[in-house]
This record gives sequence, structure tokens and C-alpha cells, in this order.
Amino acid sequence: MAEPRVLVLGVGNILLCDEGFGVAAVNRLEQDYSWPDNVRLLDGGTLGLFLMPDIMDADLLVVLDVVLGPGAPGTIYLLEGEDLRKSLSFRDSTHQTDLVDTLISCGLAGHRPETFIIGIQPGDWQTLSPELTPELAAKLPEFCAKVVAELARRGITATPRASA
Amino acid sequence: MSQVIKAPQSTYTGQVVVDPLTRIEGHLRIEAEVENGKIKEARCVGTLFRGLEIILKGRNPFDAPHFTQRTCGVCTYSHSLASTRAVEDAINKPIPANATYLRNLVLSMLYLHDHLVHFYALHALDFVDVVNALQGDPVKAAQIANSISNRKVTPDDYRAVQAKLKAFVDSGQLGPFTNAYFLGNHPAYHLSPELNLIGTADYLAALRVQVKAARAMAVFGAKNPHTQFTVPGGVTNYGALTPERIKEFTDLYKETLTFIEDYYIPDLLAIASQYKECATYGGTRNFMAFGEFPDPGCERDLQKRWLRPGVILDRKIGKVRDMDPNRIAEGVAHSWYVGDKARHPYEGETEPYFTKMGDKDKYSWLKAPRYDGIAVETGPLAQVLVSYAQEHRTIKPMVDKVLGALQIGPEALFSTLGRTAARGIEALAVGQQVETWIKQYQHNITKDQQIVENYEPPKSARGVGFVNAPRGGLSHWIVTDDDARIANFQLVVPTTWNLSPRDAKNVPSACEEALVGTPVADPARPVEILRVVHSFDPCIACAVHVIDGETNQVHKFKVL
Repeated sequence: MAEPRVLVLGVGNILLCDEGFGVAAVNRLEQDYSWPDNVRLLDGGTLGLFLMPDIMDADLLVVLDVVLGPGAPGTIYLLEGEDLRKSLSFRDSTHQTDLVDTLISCGLAGHRPETFIIGIQPGDWQTLSPELTPELAAKLPEFCAKVVAELARRGITATPRASA
Repeated sequence: MSQVIKAPQSTYTGQVVVDPLTRIEGHLRIEAEVENGKIKEARCVGTLFRGLEIILKGRNPFDAPHFTQRTCGVCTYSHSLASTRAVEDAINKPIPANATYLRNLVLSMLYLHDHLVHFYALHALDFVDVVNALQGDPVKAAQIANSISNRKVTPDDYRAVQAKLKAFVDSGQLGPFTNAYFLGNHPAYHLSPELNLIGTADYLAALRVQVKAARAMAVFGAKNPHTQFTVPGGVTNYGALTPERIKEFTDLYKETLTFIEDYYIPDLLAIASQYKECATYGGTRNFMAFGEFPDPGCERDLQKRWLRPGVILDRKIGKVRDMDPNRIAEGVAHSWYVGDKARHPYEGETEPYFTKMGDKDKYSWLKAPRYDGIAVETGPLAQVLVSYAQEHRTIKPMVDKVLGALQIGPEALFSTLGRTAARGIEALAVGQQVETWIKQYQHNITKDQQIVENYEPPKSARGVGFVNAPRGGLSHWIVTDDDARIANFQLVVPTTWNLSPRDAKNVPSACEEALVGTPVADPARPVEILRVVHSFDPCIACAVHVIDGETNQVHKFKVL
């Protein structure tokens, strides 16, 4: 059994405060941990169909993004399986297609990886600024630790770097 | 002679609002006043505020490309190239020939990718009824497909598509087809079930092929999304000098081009021949193109581009004017910004002033750029018309061939159908030119390996970068202060030209004008509006994309 190809994909717009949290998180994960060869970390920015090549090359896709849920800013969510399929939409998406549609398109084109999303409730996602809000910036280490723990449950081990 | 099908008519009078208009980049609202089944006047409303200029002030000019390419999910490279050229214009020094070759090659792949994805993923569903494809006869469909192109398909290929499609429709998860206007039949959709089947099969095939085009961009672009190789002074992708990378790029490009030749263009002609009524509406009068693909060593000389710039006024193809950058100005009379006089981009201001959604006076977050005070259309149709009028060696015969195949005259180019055909022509022309550029590049690197010049950020300077992006004329304007920091930065993007609000003289933008006279057969499903608006390939670059869990369905959030 070959090792699964894992893609950890941080998405969002880094120009709109917390909207860029997913990208900040994937960069932090790359900086603070060393990863096995079968794991790729990618800053996916605000793309839709352009992400298909990378998504279709993966067996397991982990999306890091901001999610509007019922909780207070900084609440961290896990969305998987049917949750993803049925009840998500992207508000004001600038994707040609939103991420869920992109996943469906991957399926139509031949391969849709197993996917889960680790999301965080944003504080401000509308003000134009390349900085996260302080409360979400403070959440980065905890968020990354949860991503690492979630992957560890699936047998994928990341090692903290000495400098982190 | 193919039979011309008359557009279905209605007698509806009243307002039609499409909000949000889907299958575009970004967020757009269209308000149309319909009288007796035809649009009398229309407003394009850009509903998301962009103020990138505000966060660029005070930064190092060399950082501009990294910020501007994040405004949007598709034209990232166009923006990074426009910013890079603007900074280089302010520096006012040449860049190495190889840098221009590589930028052109990556840009050409963006063209192929963008036009292919636009035709199949964004535009085709306005013409192709995917559900009706299930009724198509696979044997007949294969006969038709093989007769219109070099492809070799079998009835079994189409049976497989139908099986896949049926499973997909039965799953109830329609994804990209959710709320599509063809669901439950629509009088304005009238392809045969076989053509619907071919269109649907190729929609799926295009999803696979666009992956190759995106990969080709990444081969030279270091990464895609958000390529990382253009810097003021040249490019930084040393890997692009190796034979392995060049071969990888060439293979991916050839596969993409073959698809354009064997699928995209024949499909475009087959579908267009059944929708000739689209040649009777959706036209505009004035056109502006920036030209693209500079000759090596002439990155900023607009006259030394493979496709040349130009302006056509009042549809006078016989008289192409020079494009003069000094005649560009942006007004905000009907936009949600403070101010009333039109300003040249170097003097541009961005001070938001929102009134209310649905306001008839100030009604959009887009500014209103005008050329010499005139509303112009930009994009593939503008570039193809300008190049056609200049008797461009590649473009002119292609246009003539398409007009001949569809048995229509040049006047039909001023329409939704013409705009859509021009996009295909542009993709084919650029695609077929790539091989020459690869050869020239390979020859050049045998004697010259330089790809970048190191320059300092410019003090107290001004510069403009023009890119004829797949969506049309894009320009970035930069002003720096005596500390070589950004004092002003303005982006004038293609969609702002095409879908801006009215100007101070109350003249509508290209798309607002194009919508006038468009029929609306079913006000609840105004597919004709989509056909016109989508033909401009709008991109309201703003990129907010929060996952919204607040939907109608009961949903449990698992808190980690």
C-alpha cells in the first residue's frame, strides 16, 4: 500500500484581514514543522479551477480556511464528509466556481480526493488590510497544532522544528 | 445553409434583476428594465468594494506585483505582469530578451487556459442543455463530432459520458449546474440532443485539459496559482533555461493546443451555427486594445507587439486610431466614491462613499474609465477587430474563415456571437504562435543566458504597465516619492472598462449598452442576459471567499 498523497491547502485572500487566515496557517505549518515526503503544503490563494491540478494529484485534501459558523471569532471547526457535500456555499466568492464546485469538477474530471476542512470563525473579513486581526493572529499556533493533531489521527506525522 | 432559429419572444414588461450573476469571477448584479420582451435600459452593479490602491501607498514599488496579483483568482499573472511593467516603466531601463520570451510564453498559456475555461465552464451552459444530453443518440453524436473535426470519438465514449452524467444528476448534487436556467426546459435553449451531448462531453474533457494549461504556466512560473517569477528587471525562473523544463512546457502546450484545434473551435462553430440570433444583439460601437506579446528587447514599446494596439470608434473598421494613454480617465459620477471630475489614473483617487444598493444615481463600486470621454469595449473582440483592421497576418484569415463557415458578414462581429467567436479566434491565433516563440527562445539561450537585471526602486518617478490580458486592456499606474515609496497606485482593469456604470454625461458602459435590445423570453430565467454578460468574461476582482455555513440546510458544526 503506497503512502497517501496529502495536500494541505491554505486558501483565502491575504489582502482582507482574516480572509487570509488559511494562507497564513499553511505558511506557519511549513515554517514550524517538518513534514514527510508524501505531504505537500500549498498556498492556494483565491483560486478555483486553477487548483484542480494540485487537488487531483492528492489522495487526501486538507483545506484550511475561514468558515462562518455559529461560534465566536476564533472558534475552530472541522468539516468533513457529508457536511462538505451538502451545506456549504461560498459567500461573495471570486472563484469562477467555489471550492465545493471545484471538488465536484475534480470528480467529473476523474479524481476527487477525500477531503476535510479545518476552519476558523473570522473576526473581520471585509476590511482591506494584509494583517490578521490580533485575536486570530493569536490563534495561529493553536490552529496549527489542531491541524497537526487531526493529521496524526490519520497516521500522518509532522515534527516540530527545533527553532519553532 | 443551416436553418436560422428565431429567438423566442415574450411580451413581458417590468424589471429583471440578476443578483448574483453566477459563473463569473467575483460578484455582479444586473438590473434591467424590460419593455415588451426586450431590454430598454440596463445597469451593471459591481457589488464589492476594491481599494487595493489604499494598501499599496507607502510600500516598496517592488512589492506591488505581490499585492496586485492577490486581487483575483484568475488573472493573477496579468496583474503581476502589469505591476512589474509599470515599475519598469518608472525605472525606464530595458530588460533582458529572455525575460520577455518567458513572460510571453506564460501569458500565452494564460490565454489558452482562460479562453478554454471561459468557453466551456462559464459560457457553454448558457447554450448547452446538459440534462437534455441524456436524450442524445451516441451513434449520431459520434458521427457529427467526427465530421466537424479531426477528433476520433466513438459512440461508447458518449455512452460513458451519459452514464456519468446520469449518476451525477441522480445524486442530486448538481454543483456547477445548480440553478442552471436549462433545468426544466427553456425555450431559448435549442441545440439538438446530440449537440448537447457533444457539448457536455467536451465540457468534461475541457476540465481535464485546462489542468494541463495551468501546469504549463507553473512549469515556467515557479508556481501557479500566484506565479512567482516576474520581478522588475526581468524574471527569476532559472529552471526555465533547462531543456527538461522546456520540453515539459512544450508537451503540455501541445496537448492544450490540440484540444483547441480539434474541440474548442469546431464546437464553437457548431454551437454558433445554431444560435445565429445571438449575432443580432449584444453589440457595442467603440473598441480599445492594448496589443500584446512584445518583441524581445521592446517590453514597453506598445508598437512593437505581435498584436498591435489600437482604437476603433463607431464601428469604423477602416480607420484604426493609435491608442494614446493620455486620453484615459476614470470618472466616479455614478460610483460609490467621493468626487465628480474624471481623473487620469496618475491623479486617481479612491475615497469610498456608499449610498444604497438599488440607487439609480450612484450605483456601483466600479469606477467609469473612458477613452477620450468615450465608453469603449475591451477584450478579445476589440483586439481581434483592431488586428483584423490592421490586416494582421494570422488574425485576418482566421476571421474570414470563421465568417465564411458561419455564412455571416463582418457586421455580425458586433454582437454576442461575434464576441464569443473572437475569443476562440484569439485563443487559436495565440496558441499557434507559441511554437515560434519557443523556437526563438531556445535559439536565443544558446548564446545568451541572462534573465534579469538588478535595478533599484525608482525615486520620484511615474510609470504605466499595459497588459492586454485575456479579458482585455489592463493598466497599472504608479507614482513614487523621493524615498522611492509608492505615492499613488491605480489599477484600471478590463471589467471596469466593460461593466462600469454610466459616466458624468450619463453614457452607459459597453455591457450596459450591449444589453439594450436583448430579448428576454422568460423573465424568471433571463438566459439571454447571461449570454451577453458572460460574453464579456467579467471579472469583478475582489476575492472574498468565506465559507458560509449559514445555509437553509440543518447543519452541525463540529468544534475542534
